Amino acid sequence: MTEGSRQGNGDGFVERARRLVESTGYDPELAARVARDAQRVVAGELTEGEFGQRYHDAYLREFGRDDRPDAPDSNGHGDGDGARRSEQIQVISRRDALAALGGAAAGVLFLGELHRSGTFALTPGPAPAATGFVGAETEPVQLGMVIDLERCDGCLSCVDACRRENGLSDGVLWPYVFAYQEPDVDDTQFLFRVCQQCTNAPCLKVCPTTARHRRLSDGLVLTDYDECIGCRYCEVACPYGVNYFQWGEPSTYGGSYTGERRDARGVAVAGDPPRGVMGKCIYCPLWQHDPERRGTTACSVGCPMNVIHVGDMNDPDSEPNRYLAQRREENGGDLPTFRLLEDLGTEPNVIYIGTPPSSRAELVDGPIAYATWGAMDDRRAVLEGPSPWFERIGSQT
Amino acid sequence: MSIDDVIAPAPEQEATSPSADLAAAWNTAVLRPLGRPSRGYLITLGVAALGMLWFAHAWAFQLRHGLIVTGLSDWGTGRGVPWGLYIGSFIWWVGIAHGGIVVSASVRLFGAHKLKPVARLAELLTLAALANAGLYIIIHLGRPDRVVTSILPHLPTTIRSSPLAWDVTVVTLYFILTGTYLALTIRRDLAEVRERLPRAFDPLYRVILVGYRREERLKVERMAWWLALGVIVLAPLFLHGGVIPWLFALLPGTPAWYGPVQGPQFLAAALTSAMGSVTILAWVFRRLFRWERLIDDRVFESLARWTGLFALLYLWLQLQQIITGAAMAPEVAGAGAHAKLVSPVFWTAMVLLAVTVAHSGIQSLSPRLFSVRRTAAVAVLPVVAILIDKTLFVVQGTMDPAFGLYHGMGTSYFPSWVELSSVIGAFSIVVLFFLAAMKAVPMIELEEAE
Repeated sequence: MTEGSRQGNGDGFVERARRLVESTGYDPELAARVARDAQRVVAGELTEGEFGQRYHDAYLREFGRDDRPDAPDSNGHGDGDGARRSEQIQVISRRDALAALGGAAAGVLFLGELHRSGTFALTPGPAPAATGFVGAETEPVQLGMVIDLERCDGCLSCVDACRRENGLSDGVLWPYVFAYQEPDVDDTQFLFRVCQQCTNAPCLKVCPTTARHRRLSDGLVLTDYDECIGCRYCEVACPYGVNYFQWGEPSTYGGSYTGERRDARGVAVAGDPPRGVMGKCIYCPLWQHDPERRGTTACSVGCPMNVIHVGDMNDPDSEPNRYLAQRREENGGDLPTFRLLEDLGTEPNVIYIGTPPSSRAELVDGPIAYATWGAMDDRRAVLEGPSPWFERIGSQT
Repeated sequence: MSIDDVIAPAPEQEATSPSADLAAAWNTAVLRPLGRPSRGYLITLGVAALGMLWFAHAWAFQLRHGLIVTGLSDWGTGRGVPWGLYIGSFIWWVGIAHGGIVVSASVRLFGAHKLKPVARLAELLTLAALANAGLYIIIHLGRPDRVVTSILPHLPTTIRSSPLAWDVTVVTLYFILTGTYLALTIRRDLAEVRERLPRAFDPLYRVILVGYRREERLKVERMAWWLALGVIVLAPLFLHGGVIPWLFALLPGTPAWYGPVQGPQFLAAALTSAMGSVTILAWVFRRLFRWERLIDDRVFESLARWTGLFALLYLWLQLQQIITGAAMAPEVAGAGAHAKLVSPVFWTAMVLLAVTVAHSGIQSLSPRLFSVRRTAAVAVLPVVAILIDKTLFVVQGTMDPAFGLYHGMGTSYFPSWVELSSVIGAFSIVVLFFLAAMKAVPMIELEEAE
């Protein structure tokens, strides 16, 4: 079934747009044309870029402005409105736009409806191209990783680099390295666990506030620290266990982040989260604005074994994809790869080179302890909290 | 009975009206609690107020230091659980809130007039229990101050995919429907005995009775009937048989939660604890105000049977889960079932429920063994069992995740004093609510003379 047919009655849809706009005094014919082309975008007959360009002048004439996410920017191309924060926020913004501009923005809203039918489907979502990345002629950018487990020696340099960069509280391990053994295999094996930047992210779906969102410019799944209510639903919904809540005042248990929190959109997403909100591995989101550091993360830079390769998973020419191709070639075209818990339908954007741990894998001590780096891997030990007065009285007597 | 009788019952067909004398005697008895507070009343008030103050103090401690003062931690490498007693209690209170509608619907929609004397008690319990459920959501949050500013503006978006957004919506709707239902039915009673009510609450009565006219009765009856119908559809199918279990049942990363049986099982748990709670409440009021003739033995016979039946249903659904999880399920999916089987907490809850079922069964088969006092005592068991079982359920989800490597981490959880204090606090709130309500409104629907 195509996206277009999911909407059903196409002519009725255009007619609805026309009627809706008619009542506002704006041009109903424009609305009908926009609605028709919105359907063509979803059917794949028209790119979002073309769509954005096609009505730009008409919108300016009719409304004096063009706030659509697809609209060309002042240079006439690109990801129109940088302030569009996420898949979810985008929907709200369109609603706001409708209210502000009058009914003729209905075309935009209808395009949003079509997008959302894919974006918020409860079944695994559509291909990344249909998930709301707008304005791009090609596939949207989706940062992810290629992890070469065959090179990992469990040194935990990645963990240390991340803790330093993000000033993480004790026991918070955004990247974590499992050391495990398979029966009948002598060598200790490693699994580097980070946020999988899922295309069909459960954490993003369950969030009751849209604090957990996807940044449109690079597909990163992030948490808006100003919006999160700390319900921890994302944490229980994520099958990978990458979320770490800020249970107390970070400074009382080792949190030391003092750097910039806001990314280019002005959304607070970086560093160890403040008290009462959720944090997780974020792929160093401020680095991705920086031409010098784009496509790297603290852990990838900190890894001495060249295990971690960060980049656009949708671009065949990106560094991780080139690395994958090269490794495959080295291996005679046959390279064992996997995605973690892929059968859960999360569509993770991290590809591992190596074999996944079997159900009989057993955890073992790695060659380097977390304590060696000044880290700790049992968070309960620091989550004691202060003693209440009655306990203090009890201990004094 | 024709279909017309079901769809639009005329109120005069609904209840058989007693004679004027009987009605007057009944109403005098019903108004008994409205007098001056007794010593026992004041002592209970004091104890409940202390309980609530203790909880307020514990919550203040949590607000000051953060959720670090709970026994919670992150799951996975955090070796704890992010959801614990708060969420377990939340589920429990929403479940208890089903008592009101089950009893009211039985009376109003299905003609079970036997239960009419406890209908209002049950409806009031629904309101208090829902308020507690809402309170637990707030206590559970890391940033409770943002609950309005972060949730409401995004509801049109989040309602598409977030079960928590569904949940907030349905609980609010249920609260409003039950409140409206209660207000409508109380209105008539208040108007009837207005001159016998305490003057102190006059402002309250004026609000409830605004615009009251005697002729509205027929209309109000019909409105109450439709409201009852609306809630009986909403609550079982979409609250405890819907959004509350869906909070968990939709997440494949937590096999102990995932799956379609959670809906029916949550509903069975809700009904069990709700009927148990109504039994306890009915017994307390009957004893306090010598209401043996108002809330007669048949009420308890009926409540005990329903409690036993729902507990049996719950055990049976639990069995379904254990059997499918333990027999041939994939390793990951079976982990939850195996963890239950070795948990003493789980078996404690199951034994309590089994005793409830056995008691109800024996008593039904052999009526001479019937005892009101024992029925009330046994009713405590399923109520406690469901709290234990639901908290265990919440905890086990993230203890046995689909991500197998975490299984070797050694997860543990025990609620802290702050979390345990919340249980005392929530219970005290219900007691205080009833202490206030019994001085202001009739706790049993008044009878009308012919």
